[in-house]
Amino acid sequence: MVLNFKVGGEGTSFSPHIFNNHMKSIFFKTEYDADNYGHFGTFGGRYVPEMLMPALEELAAVYDAAKQDPDFLQELMDLYKNYDGRPTPLYFAKNLTKQLGGAKIYLKNEGLNHTGAHKINHCLGQALLAKRMGKKRLIAETGAGQHGLATATVAAKFGFACTVYMGAVDYERQRPNVFFMELLGATVVPVEHGTKRLKDAVTAALQDWISNVDDSYYLLGSALGPHPYPSMVRDFQSIIGLEVKEQIMEQEGRLPDYLVACVGGGSNALGLFNAFLENKEVCMIGVEAGGRDITKIGEHAARLQSAGKIGVVEGYKSYFLQNDDGQVQSTHSISAGLDYAGIGPEHALLFEQGRVAYHAVSDAQVIAALQLLAQTEGVIPALESAHAVAYAIKLAPTLDDEKIMVVNVSGRGDKDIFILGDILGDEKWKNYLKKKSQ
Amino acid sequence: MNKIDAQLKKIKSQNRIGLMTHIVVGYPDLATSKNLLKTMLEVGVDFIELQIPFSDPLADGPTLMVANQLAVQHNTSVRQSMELMAAVSLTTSTPILFMTYFNIVFNYGVARFCQEASQAGCSGLIVPDMPLDEERYEGFIEQAEKFDLYVIRTLAPSSTPKRLRLNAQLAKGFVYFAGRQATTGSQRELDNNLFSNIKKVKQYIDKPVAVGFGISKPEHIYELKNHAEIAVLGSKVVNIYHESASDMAIKNVKIFLQSLVDATH
Ligand SMILES: Cc1ncc(COP(=O)(O)O)c(C=O)c1O
Repeated sequence: MVLNFKVGGEGTSFSPHIFNNHMKSIFFKTEYDADNYGHFGTFGGRYVPEMLMPALEELAAVYDAAKQDPDFLQELMDLYKNYDGRPTPLYFAKNLTKQLGGAKIYLKNEGLNHTGAHKINHCLGQALLAKRMGKKRLIAETGAGQHGLATATVAAKFGFACTVYMGAVDYERQRPNVFFMELLGATVVPVEHGTKRLKDAVTAALQDWISNVDDSYYLLGSALGPHPYPSMVRDFQSIIGLEVKEQIMEQEGRLPDYLVACVGGGSNALGLFNAFLENKEVCMIGVEAGGRDITKIGEHAARLQSAGKIGVVEGYKSYFLQNDDGQVQSTHSISAGLDYAGIGPEHALLFEQGRVAYHAVSDAQVIAALQLLAQTEGVIPALESAHAVAYAIKLAPTLDDEKIMVVNVSGRGDKDIFILGDILGDEKWKNYLKKKSQ
Repeated sequence: MNKIDAQLKKIKSQNRIGLMTHIVVGYPDLATSKNLLKTMLEVGVDFIELQIPFSDPLADGPTLMVANQLAVQHNTSVRQSMELMAAVSLTTSTPILFMTYFNIVFNYGVARFCQEASQAGCSGLIVPDMPLDEERYEGFIEQAEKFDLYVIRTLAPSSTPKRLRLNAQLAKGFVYFAGRQATTGSQRELDNNLFSNIKKVKQYIDKPVAVGFGISKPEHIYELKNHAEIAVLGSKVVNIYHESASDMAIKNVKIFLQSLVDATH
């Protein structure tokens, strides 16, 4: 489909190559797509109470219609460019590459999106859908707070009321995002049930939606949950990989050899991978949270390493960290956004088919990677994104220098100031906190 | 004949409404859930829903979520739930149903779960997050019916005519209509649109209708009498147990249950 991209204001006609009208639409099919019922092979589906079935059927129908409507795509592309700041740069990390001595490392810097992470991509798309459906209110869950922040942002912009659910543990550790969500007008609700993390926030959001299905839109923040969310969120994120494809052709004249992204629910990774899935020569790596100890349940969030098994939770079938009976187990990661017991269903399929390799890195490796990237390239990644960087740092030196690797820096690290301060802060930082609290 | 059919026939012949009550296995502990179950049988409720606890009970409101969480923390297992079912069910004509979430059934193995539940004397299954749309992938209803377990269809105020019709085709025993668009939990008043919503359901389905979600007192049962065939009451019993002094809890529950049973006549 030809994208007729409308340039924002009068005279602001600088239109980067990537947004010219030959770029592929974000709506395209791959062999890994879900069937009509939202099943990716044996994964995915729509396992929800009857209360939500009509709403999900309606959402799928509205989404299908929107995909066919050129005005929808044009409005979204306009927002991507003029509100969000896309395209985000693909930047050759020359210093890091040199220091590691191996594959050429490129950073796709999603941290330069408005609100600081890739989450705004699917928030803009879904906000347009909510508007089409005449909804008055947005509901969201959030882990790191980046999805909640992006939802609160589109709520402010489009005039929706907004409630964001956040596990009580995450509410504490990602406090800057709570502050800004409230400033934007959202109500942020700490969730005390269960593991008090992202999983419990998703359940709380679904429960809110059950009770308010007529006037509220559930703006899910990753490629998980019941159909059509996993496909829809992936589509809105696919802009990442489409841009990378053009940018790398421009800079290197060929496709990359490796793509690396962190995987919580899986939205930023699928966003990068989707446009390359059928380029079989491109290797893809999803990086999970290895936490403190990958061999102990409760100490990590690595669902595909060994401990995870297939289950049906929060409306979809996939791999979950659960016990023999199917009780979902607690998780740990230094990054709230990866601290999740499940993984989006398309990832489960890509794992099963071996199309994407999944590895885990530890909290300690993540901190070291974050420091190295900051000090070599002047880029402070979000703790989630630093998982991808940590794996890239391991992999790059093992490859020869002809190889090209693209690492998705899904977000920037500002939100993690208090977590990083606790680990890396010196006396000056601690004194400052003391002074502020008086 | 499935015990559910026999019970429905008896209720009809007595020209009254039926009563279904709810227990979370392992809340507050396994021994007490057995006592509660026996108490319910003693006072003569018509159906009992035995909930196998789950860590993420999506359709449950605060009361039952806390009960589920506690039961899971006590490591209440599916095996123990099967044992509790067997200990009570094989010696009563009152139909006892398992209520749980699909992950529990799926992890146990759909066929194995249905077979063992049936052997334990279970009469039916209520699994709210297993919509008929997924039957083609799971073969859940197929396995249940193989072992003479009725899969109770759950319906909601939001159900469309098309979905009511599809569910009607698969309904066995009775259907479970959530009386309000919400998660479970006791409410002071019945939903404003409850009776018109029940009427809508009855246009498409000729099975008896059980109404739950928000039912909390004998008055509600009176109000439901000429509209529905079964009243379902879950969270309120947990609340009464929870709010009573520990030596009075079972007694208070019993008095409350008796008032409900009286209201059905
Ligand atoms: C910056 C960032 N990256 C990654 C994630 C993980 O989510 P996903 O796997 O959906 O990209 C989050 C989630 O909060 C995030 O904030």
